[in-house]
Amino acid sequence: MFGRTKPLWDTGPELKSGYDAVIIGGGLHGLATAYFLASRYGMRDVAVIEKRHIGFGGAGRNTAIVRANQRTQENVPLYKEALDLWPVLTRELDFNLMFNNCGNLNLLHSEAAVNAARMNIATAQFLGVESHLIDARQAKEMMPALNISEDITYPIMGAMYHPPGGIVRHDAVVWGLAKGAAALGVHIHQHTEAAAIESRHGKVTAVATSRGKILTPRVLVSAGGYSAAVIHRMLGLRLPISVLTIQAMVTQPLKPLLDHVISSGAYHVYANQTLKGEIATGAHMDPWPNYTTQNTAYYVKHQAEALVEILPCLAGVRFMRTWAGLADMTPDMAPIMDGNHPLEGFYMDCGWGYFGFKSCSAVGKYMAQYMAEGRCPEILKPFALERYEQHRLMGETAALVSYSPDN
Amino acid sequence: MNRLRALPTFRIDPARRVAFRYRNRSLHGVAGDTVATALYANGVRIFGRSLKYHRPRGLYSLDGECSNTCMQVDGIPNVRTENTPLREGMQIKEQNVVGSAAFDLMAFMDKLDRLMPAGFYYRSLHKPARLWPVAMRQVRRAAGLGKISPDFRYGGRCDEVYLNAEVCVVGGGAAGMSAALSAAESGLRVILLEARPWLGGCFDYRPGPSQDGEPLYRRSRELLRSVSEHPGIRVFTHSPVVGHYTDNLVTAFQTGEPGDAFDYRYIEIRSRTVVVATGCIERPLLFEHNERPGVMQVGCAQRLARTYGLLPGERAVFSVGHDLGLEAAVDLSDLGLEIACVADLRQDGHDEHLVTQLAERGIEVLRGWVAARAHGARAVRAVTLATLDGTVQKRLDCDLLAASAGLTPVVGPLTLAGAQMDYDAHTGAFLPSELPPGLFTAGRLLGLHDAESIETSGRLAGLQAAAHCGAVDAAAVVELQAQAAALPGPQRGSKLVTAPVKGRKSFVCFDEDTTVKNVRQSIARGFDIPELIKRFSSAGTGPGQGGIPGHNLPLLTAHLQGKPPSSFVSTTIRAPLVPVPVAAYAGSRHDMCKRTPVHDSQKAAGGVFRRMGVWRRARYFSDDFSCREEVRNVRENVGLLDASTLGKFRLHGPDALKALQRIYIGDMSKMTAGKIKYAAMCNDDGCVIDDGVVVKRGENDYYFTTSTARAGATIEWFRYHTRYDGWEFHLVNLTDAFGVINLAGPNARKVLEKVADADVSNEAFPFAAYREFTAGGGAIAVRAMRLGFVGELSFELHVPSSLMQALWGLLEEAGKPFGIRNFGVEAQNVLRMEKGHIILGQESEQRTNLLDLGLGFLWARDKGECKTVGEAALRHAENDPGRLKLVGIRMQDPQRAPKDGALIVDRRIRGYVCTARHSFTLEQAVGLALVEEPLAGIGTRLDIYEDECRGELLKAEVVAVPFYDPDGKRMRM
Repeated sequence: MFGRTKPLWDTGPELKSGYDAVIIGGGLHGLATAYFLASRYGMRDVAVIEKRHIGFGGAGRNTAIVRANQRTQENVPLYKEALDLWPVLTRELDFNLMFNNCGNLNLLHSEAAVNAARMNIATAQFLGVESHLIDARQAKEMMPALNISEDITYPIMGAMYHPPGGIVRHDAVVWGLAKGAAALGVHIHQHTEAAAIESRHGKVTAVATSRGKILTPRVLVSAGGYSAAVIHRMLGLRLPISVLTIQAMVTQPLKPLLDHVISSGAYHVYANQTLKGEIATGAHMDPWPNYTTQNTAYYVKHQAEALVEILPCLAGVRFMRTWAGLADMTPDMAPIMDGNHPLEGFYMDCGWGYFGFKSCSAVGKYMAQYMAEGRCPEILKPFALERYEQHRLMGETAALVSYSPDN
Repeated sequence: MNRLRALPTFRIDPARRVAFRYRNRSLHGVAGDTVATALYANGVRIFGRSLKYHRPRGLYSLDGECSNTCMQVDGIPNVRTENTPLREGMQIKEQNVVGSAAFDLMAFMDKLDRLMPAGFYYRSLHKPARLWPVAMRQVRRAAGLGKISPDFRYGGRCDEVYLNAEVCVVGGGAAGMSAALSAAESGLRVILLEARPWLGGCFDYRPGPSQDGEPLYRRSRELLRSVSEHPGIRVFTHSPVVGHYTDNLVTAFQTGEPGDAFDYRYIEIRSRTVVVATGCIERPLLFEHNERPGVMQVGCAQRLARTYGLLPGERAVFSVGHDLGLEAAVDLSDLGLEIACVADLRQDGHDEHLVTQLAERGIEVLRGWVAARAHGARAVRAVTLATLDGTVQKRLDCDLLAASAGLTPVVGPLTLAGAQMDYDAHTGAFLPSELPPGLFTAGRLLGLHDAESIETSGRLAGLQAAAHCGAVDAAAVVELQAQAAALPGPQRGSKLVTAPVKGRKSFVCFDEDTTVKNVRQSIARGFDIPELIKRFSSAGTGPGQGGIPGHNLPLLTAHLQGKPPSSFVSTTIRAPLVPVPVAAYAGSRHDMCKRTPVHDSQKAAGGVFRRMGVWRRARYFSDDFSCREEVRNVRENVGLLDASTLGKFRLHGPDALKALQRIYIGDMSKMTAGKIKYAAMCNDDGCVIDDGVVVKRGENDYYFTTSTARAGATIEWFRYHTRYDGWEFHLVNLTDAFGVINLAGPNARKVLEKVADADVSNEAFPFAAYREFTAGGGAIAVRAMRLGFVGELSFELHVPSSLMQALWGLLEEAGKPFGIRNFGVEAQNVLRMEKGHIILGQESEQRTNLLDLGLGFLWARDKGECKTVGEAALRHAENDPGRLKLVGIRMQDPQRAPKDGALIVDRRIRGYVCTARHSFTLEQAVGLALVEEPLAGIGTRLDIYEDECRGELLKAEVVAVPFYDPDGKRMRM
């Protein structure tokens, strides 16, 4: 039924002395860009270099929620396309990405939150994305475990219901993209660390790695939480990015209990049930910049306190495992995608905070276009770095961001 | 099932029966039983079915290393019954079965393993695409173990304790107790944590001899007595450590005993040092059907008899790899178990004394043999033993197979603490190569087997911890180190990875049904390190975490690739080390909201409260959420608003003015006494983060207010932006010290006149003035401001919190003839919107700057060398045409205000409505909106897109603000 067992991708290709493109970072964005370069733009002579193993960073640590109910018209279309791409990629890669299109319920606990959600909903509807405001009773019907009583810290007044969203199996995306890219000729070099980007006359010429120099006219840095440090070290370019540790956890596996992704800004918590039955939950970011990926005792308690209020039946369930990853946060909670600056042939795709997973498919497609054609696709233009120099932040967050005091 | 006659090692009281219900049957256990041992006593051998293949699963360990005995207890799923104490009246159900655990209709899944190789789901069920949603539903139903009702409510009591200690000892066996004693004898505060309900560890049940010839169990009770008598040691039993965080923050989770005032207790300990003496668990032996009910670990079999008085079977075969296995065989034989054979995978290195004892009992010991296969469909009926190379085999009938490959040190707390693990060629275990400072180890986890060595290592670790804390000098440590070095060191561990089998049904991970074959498949797919195999095959991701596969997976990964065992390390162990109920972490409820001094008065007046940040505030005073009456009364009579949540600060000191100049965008140097200055703070992007009023109360002494939301962040904001200046100023947060009453409406002065001890006429106390006077006949000191946020004559009265209720009462009484009434936050929202006054966060978003809000007049451009925060960005923004601007809008249909959050659109989104209401005062629908600058001109027609409008747009026009009383006459009355 499954044929001969062979590696999903070539795990040990020879490191050539030159490639048409080098991608630093074997996470979702890097692999997706490599896949689309090879599949859509015929650029197959591509190397993805990864310091550890592919999917080590945020790709393997996120909680796999996908949605397209962001706040601004610059963001929504990108995430919508990312949603639309899951079935396409499943087919193309012949790999089950396990898109569970269960929809997302964003709980609202105040009049102000309802109004803020209404703007997101109107934006989604205006842009052709399904999203609705529902009241607490409707939310309870959709999710019987929900506590809609008044007797909690932040009583639930309603919810933003977003049917097109859901959960995708994150590891499957990593492996599927690696499989698809490698099959088209992309070389994936694991345990290979990028050391420097070399240039001449303002143009990228090579990438120095722990295994030798690779000549290339174009390089993409998409190293997740490490991008800002990598870019600063290699090019001296300081990005307005704060790297924070974000934590998540799962309970022991249960029979189906939550049929939708649920999240709450007031409680600062989200929860969804994986296909294996675990309740995956998280949201907390420690508000001090660090690269530790350490968990904190405070976080587990916070999460539990929040969960037993909105989903009280979970009091009887056990937490099984916590972990943490890095979120590279920009001041406006929108990413930086830019190219040919400060060097021709240098591209960056970073600042994805905690939303890099849900965007990876579409971003891979457009960054590939950017790199293949050398011109910025319309849809990526609003994400250029220069917006910070011009004090023109994106409106992706309504509230003031307070994860570091210098925002 | 009959219990053994009383043994000195019993932890049960056979005379006290405990009734419980299991599958609608009433059964009895005895006091001291766990749920699983009570079931075992009642003949239950199959406790549940496995996740994927629905294989029967039985009692394997007694410490919850796998989910074999997970059941539903009192509505709670996935309870590890093997270490859950039995309580009177418990309701026990099986889980993940169709039918019963003994006869599960899903048992056929076990035959389908060839259809389900490692990671099969990634490569199937997605073609054709429409199959997936259907298949996914089946996958969800099949997955998961226990079931919880959405209506389940946990009724237990949860406690939390937060402790400090110099030494925290993890593990209450002989080593841990010795460590606690030696540390406590140095005068330190010691906390001893033990996962089992009693101290003693592996000494607790063993009759083997200790160094002085006494049985080990007696020795452990002696240690226990010393520990309990020492006042410096606090003991927590039934408290497994679940987390270790930065700087030795240790968390544990305790289960209450009968008589305790809690069911669960969360324990958090900040300790200067930690001694880890967690001992060992057994390394599971990999052979065909190695998890068949009837196969159990050696310690499990021995403890069933010794601790719970249950003979684990009738005829047993042992397949072991360490002397504990031989010792247990001798002991169980003496307790009446027939032992057919002991296969020891070691060729040499046995304790010959134990071999002799076995020979005396007529028990054959096969050296270099191992169990290769367990037979029996639902429980073990026979076993095939084989030589290590598999060339010679023999089959023996039995109903118990005590199997274990060797020992695995319990290193979870060490890895959480950041200890680096390496393969140790002598013990065959993964042991810390380096320990972080303040962390010490002791006991069996180091590979020690000799009783005296174990105790001495414990005392040594306790002393090392004491030395780390400075309580003893290093010489004492050196001396004890020398003693310890003279005792037997770590025992050589067995190296066998798997029995000589193909491994189709040899389970590496019980919880996830991962076999040796699955690991081989994963490697063939390119997943060649334990961390990736874990992800691809799920091994180790189940409720038991790394307990069962933790040691074997890296060994097997190396073995299958022909690499040395030192090539890999175990997968990362993560907190909680033991699954912990969410209820235990949640503890008692923690809603720490603040109430204003007049909360109760407002409640009595019919206030409808909402949580706003840390506060609870009265949002409405009737069921009419349009607030028509509240608004009318302020416009026509007089209203009373509780504004106590405003941030309130005193800023004083020689450099106070410099700080104000840095933080506020306006020029604060020209303030005069008795006059209010409305001012705003921007961030580095020029975006408005706060607005409020500032008054100068004296030389270098200021009083200012901030918005409710910013109150908590203000001091840090000042400090951050002046951090390099060395200025001397002091900020005092008076938010909770003062209550604020807003008395507003055309009759406001008439009311205040009756209460204030001062002249409050328009001449004596004009608009925008600040006065301090007393009220109520000198009893209440008032700081009063003439403001006009709601657009009427109004007084903002700041009074000490303790006196606010008194003033509130006086005003209500005085206001009766003038129609005074409470109004809430929403009425204020409508009133101020009609007046065109903004609320930050509502009329602004993160990126909205001072100019966008039309507040450019607050900006003083020539303040000198102040380095005002945000000024550079504002200069830049002056020439930026592409920004959203705040405008007033009037709807074409006066009855139809758009909902807040509706969009301004043409072909794109051009802005949005911040606040809009039908104004009863103006008989118009008006609002404030942020729109792109080209649309901001007065008279511009706007199309408004509301959610669910289906393309039917509302029409509006940009108009001038304020809508109400544009000349501001009413607030200056």
